[in-house]
Amino acid sequence: MASASQHRLRKRLLKAGHFIGLFLAMCVITIPGLWVVLNSFRPTVEIMAKPPVWIPNSLNLDHYRAMFGGAGQGGIPVWTYFTNSLIISVTSTLIALLIGMAGGYAFARYKFKGKAMTFVMLMATRAVPGVALSLPVFIIFGRTGLIDTHLGMILVYVALNVPFTIWLIDGFFRQVPKELAEAAEIDGCTRWQAFWRVEFPVARAGIASAGIFAFLTSWNEYALASQLTRSVSSKTMPVGLLDFTSQFTLNWGGMCALAVLMIIPALILTFLVQKHLIAGLTFGGVKG
Amino acid sequence: MTRAKLPPWLLLLMPAFLILAAVVLVPLLLSLYSSFTPYQLTRPETLWKINFPFNYEKALTDPGFWKAFGRTVLLLTIALNLEMLLGLGLALMVAKVQRGQRTLRTMMMFPMMFSPILVGFMFKFIFNDNVGLVNNALQSMGLASTAIPWLVDGNLALFAIICAEVWMSTSVFAILILAGLFALPQDPLEAAKVDGCTPWQSFRYVTLPFLMPFIYIAMAIRSLDVARAYDIVQVMTGGGPAKRTELLWTMIGRTGYVDARMGYANAMGYIAILLSIAFTVYFFLKLQSARRELGMGD
Amino acid sequence: MKGFGAGSVLALVASFGFAPAAMAEGEFAGVTIEAKLIGGQQYEALYSRIADWEKATGATVKIISQKNHFELDKEYKADIAAGTTGWCVGSNHSSFASQYPALFTDLAALVPAESIAGFVPANITAATIDGKLTMLPRAQFDVSALYYQKSLYADPAKAEAWKAKTGKDLAPPETWDEFRDQAIFFADPPNFYGTQYAGKDEAINGRFYELVVANGGKMFNDDMSPAFNSPEGKEALQWFVDLYKAGAVPPGTTNYLWDDLGNGFASGTVALNLDWPGWSGFFNDPSASKVAGNVGVAPAPKGSAGVRTGWSGFHGFSVTESCANKEAAASLVDFLTNEDSQKLESAPGPLPSRTAVWEYVIEQAKDDPYKSEVLAAFQETALTAFPVPPTPYWIESGNLIFPELQAAILGDKTVDQALEDASAAVDDLMRENGVY
Repeated sequence: MASASQHRLRKRLLKAGHFIGLFLAMCVITIPGLWVVLNSFRPTVEIMAKPPVWIPNSLNLDHYRAMFGGAGQGGIPVWTYFTNSLIISVTSTLIALLIGMAGGYAFARYKFKGKAMTFVMLMATRAVPGVALSLPVFIIFGRTGLIDTHLGMILVYVALNVPFTIWLIDGFFRQVPKELAEAAEIDGCTRWQAFWRVEFPVARAGIASAGIFAFLTSWNEYALASQLTRSVSSKTMPVGLLDFTSQFTLNWGGMCALAVLMIIPALILTFLVQKHLIAGLTFGGVKG
Repeated sequence: MTRAKLPPWLLLLMPAFLILAAVVLVPLLLSLYSSFTPYQLTRPETLWKINFPFNYEKALTDPGFWKAFGRTVLLLTIALNLEMLLGLGLALMVAKVQRGQRTLRTMMMFPMMFSPILVGFMFKFIFNDNVGLVNNALQSMGLASTAIPWLVDGNLALFAIICAEVWMSTSVFAILILAGLFALPQDPLEAAKVDGCTPWQSFRYVTLPFLMPFIYIAMAIRSLDVARAYDIVQVMTGGGPAKRTELLWTMIGRTGYVDARMGYANAMGYIAILLSIAFTVYFFLKLQSARRELGMGD
Repeated sequence: MKGFGAGSVLALVASFGFAPAAMAEGEFAGVTIEAKLIGGQQYEALYSRIADWEKATGATVKIISQKNHFELDKEYKADIAAGTTGWCVGSNHSSFASQYPALFTDLAALVPAESIAGFVPANITAATIDGKLTMLPRAQFDVSALYYQKSLYADPAKAEAWKAKTGKDLAPPETWDEFRDQAIFFADPPNFYGTQYAGKDEAINGRFYELVVANGGKMFNDDMSPAFNSPEGKEALQWFVDLYKAGAVPPGTTNYLWDDLGNGFASGTVALNLDWPGWSGFFNDPSASKVAGNVGVAPAPKGSAGVRTGWSGFHGFSVTESCANKEAAASLVDFLTNEDSQKLESAPGPLPSRTAVWEYVIEQAKDDPYKSEVLAAFQETALTAFPVPPTPYWIESGNLIFPELQAAILGDKTVDQALEDASAAVDDLMRENGVY
């Protein structure tokens, strides 16, 4: 009896602990971000106030209004930046996923000499930091006319994301038992069909998360974009953030407003892709 | 005809090889060459003068470089382990939730929506000593009576940078580990339960080994990225004050672009790239052995 | 008198005669000028005038890059490296200009002499590098003056305490020593600080540099060997150290840049703030600043040699050496820096660089006491202002100096040690680059 009630108590405590832990974790995760959102609605005098103003007195859309206003009133070409970011990120993510699926499949399903070495070499390309890469890439792009174009940025982001999509997708393909695909092939499917019918659905979770990562990396990348873009025709939103800084000033409220516009699409996309993540994951049970 | 002779794996990998060669390898060879010269951006003619091994000697004998090197390794180690543990905890907690999990997962990934450069600005304001969120909160709650110089004191500044880094990247671990948790086969877990394992035992001996490949993937990816934490550090402290938070990348960025000494910067860059590769290889080997244990190896 | 009148009429005729020549109708029809212009709210109002120039000359201006100053600097360096310098007009800054000796062309040969004569002579001198006029200054002249909270000086209790302590009347500081003593006197950390200073990058080097000069010293000798490891240099660095040790500045000050200073003063938690003219409007704007209505402005204080600090710089426009149509580019640059352009640009607060426009803005401000006070203080400071030392290594040597200054401020090193190390490092740099 005693042990049963003790057991129940422990279970309840665990549940409470779980809840509190989760709540605290979510607070830590969201508060700094929500603080940015809040700042985008507050006048600068209140953000920088000392003693601090904890409960906002006046929330308004001034920073947004200024941002969409004309040049000279603090306006920046938000929509152009937005379109640039969207075109560059979506295209580069799709290409990186295709290349990554091909590569990941090769690593998961084929045996060849120097495989481990090839793999590490591929990954090592990711180790090259943007700072070290930006100048030589700039020189090459300068000679080939790719500077300040969408195509140039897409190429760079595909290269940036490929190693890591390969790695991630490879990991998920490995989870699919070889026998499944082989069985499908015996049933008369070609390897190509077997891939789409058997392996792809199972690895969809991996592909979805690789896609999220690739998209977010491209969407948020700054170091390379700041070198390879120059005018509004290709500047992406992270580079646009710097429009709020000048030699002596930094308009933090305005920066927050643009940041909010950057976060919303990413948030929506993540939320949508989650569905596929779940659908793909249910196949995990097949393995057992 | 030669096309037909290409083995399928090579064919599948060809697009990846091509793009990486074009965007990473060729530029890297260029910068490797320039690291043998006294190349200065503003003086293109300096590119044609070889002064090997001057740049490397200069870097390797500079105590400032080694301090930055050590600090980078320290930051990598602390940040990665912290992110891994927190990410694992977060994933386990989220996985247990039945209702509203989708929302929780999106919330969990919230920090990933933030551009590193924005995170830098954000935490610079949060840790500002005079009007920052942290000091204001501490002072309002009566926990501190002086302004704590978060971004000035060497240890505190490193702490603040790690906070920013951990805040931004724990999600990466959490989401990958969560994906692993969902792919976790149920049979061994049930078998463990039948055998009378405690929850801790079944976690330790069933769940964790299965999750290890996912953890190593995340570790390796992050170890490469954390070395790119240039944006955050550059915005928050710029490596200062008095070089107290100088990392390899801030040092390279400043030498290369502000001082325009690309040759020297690239030499330091190469030493730093070797460091990153060492981390990658280490985690890759770990990943291999974890996979072998699970029977998923080659 | 009569001769003078005739002369000016002649000049008038000449300028009228010249103006159409410089900007004849459709003169550059079909020409496209690619421009890299500094971005940011303060700088962009001027660009609305580009359309007028396009209309007048028939040329088209294509802005191919619009970034902040530091990003633009990186971009120019990358352009030189890649050889992609075919664009024509670029924003430039006096502190950065000497880094790109070959990128920009001599404007003296392309712009009418009388147009150049209208600029403040000291600005033209500073824009001339190795005998080449590398840029024409726009109405973005920067020198620092002292902003202070007026209420502090109107408080009888404070005045009495100050008198008891020093035997002097409490008034805005005239010298850097007074500045320091008052800052320490006003400070009440962590809620209120006496002053603050930018603590990194070129920002602290510039301050250090102007203090060395104000104390009668020099940053570099004529052969560009370091000269700041001197009694004057030590005195200058000691000023920063004293304030930090006394807790009169925010403890994070070594990590501050200009935006932190401006926001700090606007938050009402700082008594004295040596800062740039661009902030004057912001500080007095009730929707942005808590000290609005309480801001006083005085000329920059004097150092121990009786010299005012006056590290100054300005923005301008340059034309590249490899521009295909330099005449058209120079005409655009001339247009963007002419009197009308400077009047437009200086209207919200930035300081002009043309003598006639200085007079114009002072006249315009005469009904606005705050604006008049601001202009008077900055004009007084501008009289003795000086640019950065004319060496392409100003920024690079600065990157060696500022960490040492920080080390002394934070107490990692003594003042003597820090300056000695910085001096040795700069000496190495100059030797390595074959300067001497």
